[in-house]
Amino acid sequence: MLCVPSHPSCLEIPLRYRRTTAGVFSALLAVTLAATAQPAQATTAAQPQAEPNQVQGLTVVQGDGYATLAWTPVDGATDYQIERTPVGDDDAATGASVTVGVWRPNRQINNSEPTFADAGFAPGNRFQWRVRARFGSTVQPYSTPVSDTTRDHWGDPAVPGQSLRTQWETTLGAQYTNDVNEYAYTAAIDERSDRVRVVEIGRTLQDRPINMFVIGYPTPPATAEAVAATNPLVVNCNVHGNEPGDREACLIMARQLAFTDDATTLGLLSKTTMLIVPTINGDGRAANSRGNSTGQDLNRDYSLIRQPETQAFVEMVRDYRPIASYDGHEYGNANTGDLPMLPPRHQNVAQGIFDESQDMIEGHMYTQGAEDGWWACPYGCTGANVGLGEETILRNTLGLKNVVNSLLELRSSGGPTRPDEGNTANNRRRKTYSALWTFHQFLAYHGANVGDITKARAEAITFQSANTGRIVFRGSRPIEAYPAPHPGDTPPPLDAPGENQILDQPPCAYKLTEEQYHGARTDGPDGQQTTVAQRLAAHGWKVIKVAGGYLVPLSQPERGLVPLLLDGQAAEGLVAAERIAPTLTGTHNGPLTVSGVACLAGATVRGPIKVQRGATLIVNGGSVNGPVDASAAAGFVLTASTVNGPVNVTGATGPVLLVGNRISGPVNVVNNAGGAPLVAGNTVNGPLSCTGNAATPVNLEVANSVSGPRFNQCARL
Amino acid sequence: MTNSQSPTATPVSRRLLPIAGATLAALLLVVIAGSGGNSDAGTAGPAPATVTVTGPLCDQLPAGSEPGNPNSLAGQPADQALQWIPVLTTFEAAVRATGLAAELTAPTGVTILAPTDDAFAAKFSRTNLDDMLLNDTATLRGLLRDHVVSGALPVAELVAAGSATTVAGTSLTVTAHGGGARVDAHADTVCADYQAANARIHVINEVLGTLPTTAGGEDDHPAH
Repeated sequence: MLCVPSHPSCLEIPLRYRRTTAGVFSALLAVTLAATAQPAQATTAAQPQAEPNQVQGLTVVQGDGYATLAWTPVDGATDYQIERTPVGDDDAATGASVTVGVWRPNRQINNSEPTFADAGFAPGNRFQWRVRARFGSTVQPYSTPVSDTTRDHWGDPAVPGQSLRTQWETTLGAQYTNDVNEYAYTAAIDERSDRVRVVEIGRTLQDRPINMFVIGYPTPPATAEAVAATNPLVVNCNVHGNEPGDREACLIMARQLAFTDDATTLGLLSKTTMLIVPTINGDGRAANSRGNSTGQDLNRDYSLIRQPETQAFVEMVRDYRPIASYDGHEYGNANTGDLPMLPPRHQNVAQGIFDESQDMIEGHMYTQGAEDGWWACPYGCTGANVGLGEETILRNTLGLKNVVNSLLELRSSGGPTRPDEGNTANNRRRKTYSALWTFHQFLAYHGANVGDITKARAEAITFQSANTGRIVFRGSRPIEAYPAPHPGDTPPPLDAPGENQILDQPPCAYKLTEEQYHGARTDGPDGQQTTVAQRLAAHGWKVIKVAGGYLVPLSQPERGLVPLLLDGQAAEGLVAAERIAPTLTGTHNGPLTVSGVACLAGATVRGPIKVQRGATLIVNGGSVNGPVDASAAAGFVLTASTVNGPVNVTGATGPVLLVGNRISGPVNVVNNAGGAPLVAGNTVNGPLSCTGNAATPVNLEVANSVSGPRFNQCARL
Repeated sequence: MTNSQSPTATPVSRRLLPIAGATLAALLLVVIAGSGGNSDAGTAGPAPATVTVTGPLCDQLPAGSEPGNPNSLAGQPADQALQWIPVLTTFEAAVRATGLAAELTAPTGVTILAPTDDAFAAKFSRTNLDDMLLNDTATLRGLLRDHVVSGALPVAELVAAGSATTVAGTSLTVTAHGGGARVDAHADTVCADYQAANARIHVINEVLGTLPTTAGGEDDHPAH
């Protein structure tokens, strides 16, 4: 089972998005999570000689709520059946033998080492397993059996904290944990663990708290800003009220992280912060409905944020700045894999975010799934017309917010490959423990690849802020198919954008009227409608007050999402704002004085720029020979540009944003009154000085390269 | 730990329900105590009832000493007993959404013909079901009352009577079928004769009543 770098099986795995060293490292790391479990092996002594085509080498390793069976493949086998029998301590059968699994070649990337994660049994019971091959419909002899006692519900009943159990666990899956018991369990963990702080990030329409576990070791950072500095990861567990399987996994995982003694896990938590939002849709969970209490599907609302639940989540993303995410669901198609997954595919998502998300899924999850017996596959999995490019879906919204992430589905029913799930409890346990496995793998992947993830994120923020390249209103990046049999042999549809969904020349900014920006809205729940201004603020966007309206520059970190809400051509926009074209794209010789609004796109200015009081300057991807000086500007945006000379931004009343520039000369950001200036990813040949700004400048964890000293408010940027 | 500094943080003790922490903890303990399956644990009473449920689905439901086993439900109010039968999550949610619990716990007794989750999924699209659960509870309440008969009647008595009148006033034919009953000529009992306080619960495999079928489109299993 162990994948070591010298073993040829590790190297044979086709890893399209994988960097070899990181992949092997993450594989090793994940293996250590299960390292305490020793495989039980079939006793071969005193066994009769192997029959023809009999499965050999059967082993079982216990995980949390599942047992991984592994065996030596039989030449000519088309599939395998896995049989489980309850046994007593003496290994005598105490119940009927049942075929619990069917292994098919498309389960895993390496058919040379078949594995199957058996799940659904009540944790803690003892079983015997046998496996047999089938040639077409012809069964072959069963293997010699292996017996083992499965892991009980996680946590020592005698250890405070560890002894907590959810309602779902104590009822053996007969009941899901209800809202009242969730809050009691959450509060109990909060109270008993120094590693956990529970934060209420908002309220549902019916006033249920939306809680979030903030988990770090030995303690979580005290503020959202401090959490953001640890490159946190987040799991959103329950957006659809009638899909509760992931939520139960989240509640169990929170307890594990809060009370585990496992050194590997504590090591991971010492370097980052894990955020778990168990129930964003508490009203829907209580009602067993998909939507929230108004019937709104919240996973069609993460860009529009008409509802308080999605607004709370988006504001959390703005404040805590997770770099990676999983979003938990259940899926009705019985013929898919165990764990359909999908990256953010919208074509406005930065390439690196898509690639890194694919590496997490196809590199890590496919590989670890083959180790532990879980069948991940690209959502759709059967070619179903799902998994497209809607930016309203969290998977895509987060991609457009430069978060490496994946959708997670739990296959609703057992289907042909898990034939023993007519029993409701068996079915519920398999779903929840497969989610628990995934979320632990997610934490392991994050820990092993945080350097790659942050690099992809930094490049994405810089790329988006540069406002280069076309805009796509709807349409996905392709998910390429692997040759069958392979978990990735049937990806979702291509979903390429149509011609009318592409804007080749991006505007510089969108201008909203007073009515568009502050006017009352009719979308959203009665009495709780929010304005566009409130929603853009929830997204954390930079908005500049100008004469006759409000300017939203595209050159900012969530550039890919901006037109999807503000362009008249958007599929599901908020308003049809005016496109503001660049005012200068060529060469300007001599000094440039800006009054009103100037937008320079790829322009060359051979001389200094002076921004007058109340004026706005937006510069994307140009070069300036001479100082850039803005005093009391309404807004100042400088991205992807080269400046030969100092940059002084003083006393701006609105947003200040400097991203991805090369500046030869000192940079001064002083006494600005708007929101926190964004100073990220710049190369400054000279000192960087920030003083007197109303809000401390931030860099979104995208470091600046500064040859001179960094002063005061910018000391750590 | 307490929470504080985060700009969006508010104390977790702000809760939906005005329940003190001690009460919450007690609730949690009740759940744990209830895992033995007998909600009457701790109260002096007669020996546990022996309830025999019949039908092909019974094997798939909690049995023996498992939480939610038929014996453990015998003394519970019907609306609470429904929460322990894991194939009835839709029906149970509908009971809560429509406030039908009072009618189901009437001292004169009721018979509940409860369709499974699969039956609801085969009958109604997800959007239709959501709309009834969240907005159109009058229609949903009418639908549920098509599944309730006055008097706590074992399935054998229903069959012997040959018909039953629901509290909504509709008449249902009841015929013998495979050791259980076939109701309204199409819905079969798949696990019959659960007992609750003043109630019999028969799990059936199709939805009764006259609402149109809306399942069968893409909306049955919405993406994401």
